[in-house]
Amino acid sequence: MVHESLAATNAVVTLDVALPSVVWGWIITMNMWAKSVGTGVIFMLFYLLKKYPNEASSYRFPVVVISIVFIHLFLFFTVIDLHQMFRFWHIFFHPHWTSAITVGAWMATLFVGLLFLLAYASFIKKDDALFDKTLTWTVVLAIPVTLYTAGLMAQSTARELWQMPTESAQMILAATLSGSAAMILMDTYFKKLSYEAKRDMGIILAVSALGAFILYMSELIFGPMKAEEVAATLEFIKGHGEYTTMFWIGQVFAFIAPFVLVLLSISSRSENLLKLAALSALAGLWVSKHVWLVIPQLLNMS
Amino acid sequence: MKLGFLVDLHLCMGCKGCEIACKVENEVPLSTWRLRVKYVDVGSFPETRRTFTPLRCNHCENAPCERICPVSALHYLDNGIVNIDKERCIGCAGCVMACPYGAIYIDPETQTADKCTYCAHRIASSMMPACVVACPVEANIFGDIEDPTSNISKYIQQSQGDVQVRKPEKGTNPHHYYVGGGNVTLNPLASHRVEGYSLFNKLTHLPIGGHH
Repeated sequence: MVHESLAATNAVVTLDVALPSVVWGWIITMNMWAKSVGTGVIFMLFYLLKKYPNEASSYRFPVVVISIVFIHLFLFFTVIDLHQMFRFWHIFFHPHWTSAITVGAWMATLFVGLLFLLAYASFIKKDDALFDKTLTWTVVLAIPVTLYTAGLMAQSTARELWQMPTESAQMILAATLSGSAAMILMDTYFKKLSYEAKRDMGIILAVSALGAFILYMSELIFGPMKAEEVAATLEFIKGHGEYTTMFWIGQVFAFIAPFVLVLLSISSRSENLLKLAALSALAGLWVSKHVWLVIPQLLNMS
Repeated sequence: MKLGFLVDLHLCMGCKGCEIACKVENEVPLSTWRLRVKYVDVGSFPETRRTFTPLRCNHCENAPCERICPVSALHYLDNGIVNIDKERCIGCAGCVMACPYGAIYIDPETQTADKCTYCAHRIASSMMPACVVACPVEANIFGDIEDPTSNISKYIQQSQGDVQVRKPEKGTNPHHYYVGGGNVTLNPLASHRVEGYSLFNKLTHLPIGGHH
């Protein structure tokens, strides 16, 4: 579509200002990646406590600690990306509720509060009933906390590539992918989960990887048929595009390799392959998120 | 009252007087622009022509920048101007990502978002925006689009069928109109950008806000 238009107009920009560079770069990628892990492990803990209560019971406190660490990483990268980072408190004292940033900041704050309540219940009070009751509410809140970045991307009206339905699915899948990967890696240290529980984590990882890969490929193939700006954006990851190599590295490491490795690990009952799949997924997720974040910003808006 | 802008591209001759006037009036730092004039050459020799398009904030009725701003630093004035409070801005750059017209930038001096305000400070003193005053051919027509007797309303009436806005499909309802515009002038994807188009030789991208 773009090429036809260009050929028809035969127009060339001969004098203009330099274009702005990437506005949201690796810091925002870190933000999204860390949040995926932070909420993902909570989803996985909830699942394990329901299905394997005996094995997972000793994971209550460690998982909460992992979640607290990654959610604070997410908050740290959120704040340092602000050009006026010492004014971040304005979000709480001058909130503008139509903004996904505001809603997300408040929900993330509440989420952190619940995480500390979970830590209190598991480490100080040692009250599993209180923990499990709080965990249910934490899981409920983790869903919008995971999704709000998709809302923010959707509100970025200029970036046609980021659509709310797809980004919502991608955010949830990123959380389940990174959460299951983190649990598999955690268990290499704690060694509390049975093979069946780890296999379940592997299946969640593989299904998440497959789902996310299908979404990316759908965008890549069918996106350009719907919108001129999407077509122009995806040129950066097609052919000899600036981000083609990085895009495919992300797809292979985040989705294709983990999916295959999980299948192989299930067929051979190999836990090492499962760990390899988890590592690959976590590294690849960062790369694929980064490419998807950057490419719409390379497009000239005016 | 809803203030709006109309640029008659038949009249614009690309002198960049408006660009300079804006820079001076608003002390816009080096490497950033609230208003710029883009040159696009069209056709093949000898059938060629050069087009000039002044580009500034569209002061949309349904402004994505206002919606995404987490602290209401971007806000509407009663006269329809989308204004910015630089003291409140936290520099999240959400507005930069939201604006479909690339009209918002991070000021490298204040590290906050900035953009054209239709010279809101001058309007408050009953003066015209600096770019309107500087234009030697009166290609910039500014006024109240809700007042049928204003120059801009009359111009829109007289030019019916030739009045356009940029990216109407975004649903932003811009209060900035063009007469004599076309695909090449209003659609950034309709023209090639080859290295060297910039004011600075071989410099095609500038860092945001001086860092990151």
